[in-house]
Amino acid sequence: MTFLRLDNIKKSYGDASVIKGVSFTATKGEFVVFVGPSGCGKSTLLRMIAGLEDVSEGQLYIDGKDVTYEEPAKREVSMVFQSYALYPHMNVFENMAFGLRMAKRPEAEIKAQVMEAARILQLEALLERKPRALSGGQRQRVAIGRSIVRHPKLFLFDEPLSNLDAELRSQMRVEIAKLHRSLGATMVYVTHDQVEAMTLADRIVVLRAGLVEQIGSPTELYDKPANTFVAGFIGSPKMNFINARVASAMGSSLLLEHPSFAGGKLDADTAAASRAKVGDTVIVGMRPEHLTVGTAQPVLSLTLDFAESLGGSTQLYARSEGEPVIVLASGRPELKPGDTLNLGIDPRHIYLFNAAGLAL
Amino acid sequence: MSEAMRTAPTKPNRGYGRWTPLWFLAPAVLTLFLIGIYPTLFALVTSFRRYNITRPREGFPFVGFENYIGVLTDSTFWSSLFLTAKFYVTVLPIQVVLGLIIALLLHKPGMGFLKSLARVTLVVPLATTYAVVGLIGRLIFNRDFGVANQFLGFAGFGPVDWLSTPGGAFAAIVIMDVWQWTPFCALLFLAGLSMVPGEIEEAARLETSSKLALLRHVQLPYLLPGLTAIMILRSADVLKLFDMVFVMTRGGPGSATDLISIYIQRVGFRIFDLGTASAQAILLLIITIIISRLYIRLLYREV
Repeated sequence: MTFLRLDNIKKSYGDASVIKGVSFTATKGEFVVFVGPSGCGKSTLLRMIAGLEDVSEGQLYIDGKDVTYEEPAKREVSMVFQSYALYPHMNVFENMAFGLRMAKRPEAEIKAQVMEAARILQLEALLERKPRALSGGQRQRVAIGRSIVRHPKLFLFDEPLSNLDAELRSQMRVEIAKLHRSLGATMVYVTHDQVEAMTLADRIVVLRAGLVEQIGSPTELYDKPANTFVAGFIGSPKMNFINARVASAMGSSLLLEHPSFAGGKLDADTAAASRAKVGDTVIVGMRPEHLTVGTAQPVLSLTLDFAESLGGSTQLYARSEGEPVIVLASGRPELKPGDTLNLGIDPRHIYLFNAAGLAL
Repeated sequence: MSEAMRTAPTKPNRGYGRWTPLWFLAPAVLTLFLIGIYPTLFALVTSFRRYNITRPREGFPFVGFENYIGVLTDSTFWSSLFLTAKFYVTVLPIQVVLGLIIALLLHKPGMGFLKSLARVTLVVPLATTYAVVGLIGRLIFNRDFGVANQFLGFAGFGPVDWLSTPGGAFAAIVIMDVWQWTPFCALLFLAGLSMVPGEIEEAARLETSSKLALLRHVQLPYLLPGLTAIMILRSADVLKLFDMVFVMTRGGPGSATDLISIYIQRVGFRIFDLGTASAQAILLLIITIIISRLYIRLLYREV
């Protein structure tokens, strides 16, 4: 059942077009994450759903109702801002009660709702405090509490964790995931952090320069990226790309040439082989975590530049012709800079893209 | 210097000595002393003396609190003070409300150039000398060729003799004061409104569609410091308001616009009873300080 629908939404400021036509739908209870680099328009899109920015073109529906030109307060959405945006002169209780008071709910109900939210978020002891007397994590909780007391149709989060330190961030991430599960509410979450996107989302919308690059579940995006942008954006460290040349294409066998390949050649087994022509460029993608060091049948043969030990694993920086290749090796392999790295990979984990960057 | 360096090599040459800050402060302190502190102290001393400079042969003996008792039992002093208070409570609400409306209009997004122009225009009345405001007022409210009566004529009313009727004269000085000071309120409120973080305003817009609720619950706390400043500055200013009224009405007709500072001026520089005038001025200073402290106590809140 479609709960939130964006229908060819566009946004421009004068001549500058920021969102160039975004369409997607979300079902009730779904956790959707907008992800993309800075300036891709993900926050603008979220603010348009909230009603804080005007929609230049297109239609927006929440719960079957056209709200494209509806006032923010009448859309029944709530938003958690990056800066938390708590009312500085009100204490925690008043901050959470404000929306209900504005909706003229009876005081007893307001108290019950706020206390319930405070219990869920463990804010009971802080209700009398002013925001300035709270830590970043506590403020974040109050901001979330303020949005849950109103039982909105839609929860919006605008990079809510980016002002927190790393430890608190992963803790809050888990809490948001739990909250989503217990409330069963529809949530739209904006982040530039692909780890947050991967861990929280039911579905991820990858945006670049105002356009949707791909929509899919986290595993879909990881396993079947539509193009090199998505492939490089999802996963950390970033996927390695090698620009190879097609030497021959016969049946489902695609023979690729590049000096980095062991023996200068790589035989990729793909159904798309028939569409490739000899001499074409094919971009070969390999994730750092899929490459294995010291294998009997090496696929890549490279020179090690340097190694970074992370304790449990080691990041190896190797050099292919021009392009650096990163390998995430488990343990601490005994290697020195200058050593030759023979790297193996499961053929299923080789990604192929055409010269334009689209998946083959 | 080089000798000192050689004998005490561990001490770095900071380029300034113990007394250097003093020399930087001295001009400001000296100026303040000459134009502020000394006259105030002089007035304080004078207020305890019989000091009528038209009768120097009687000398200027100390008379204790005689001047203060005289002032406090002078019904004209009290009626002038009352008139000043009436003037203040008339102009202040008008200025605050009009200023707030202007600030809210200028705070709305859009029309950037016109808004900058409006902001610059707001400074013009503030930059105008009080005496000039009075002169302009005299022209505007002239019975025969003033623009005020011209407009009343357009609306179908007969000419009003503004400056020679008690009500008209009071209204005229109120209007000129509102003209001069509303922009100041608008600018302070505008500064307050722009202090409200954008995301907080947006958070409130998601919770209520009422502009009034937004103003009352979210923006008002940011306006209170400005409002306190306005009330303090305006009460001090109204208590010393002299030039504009003096030029327009000289306190008349009768005592219709005889504000406290005009009365003190008459006592001090027409009757030349400087002792009494000083006592009046000191009392005024005390009133100003008390009122300011009250405002800060009652209104001012850290956001």
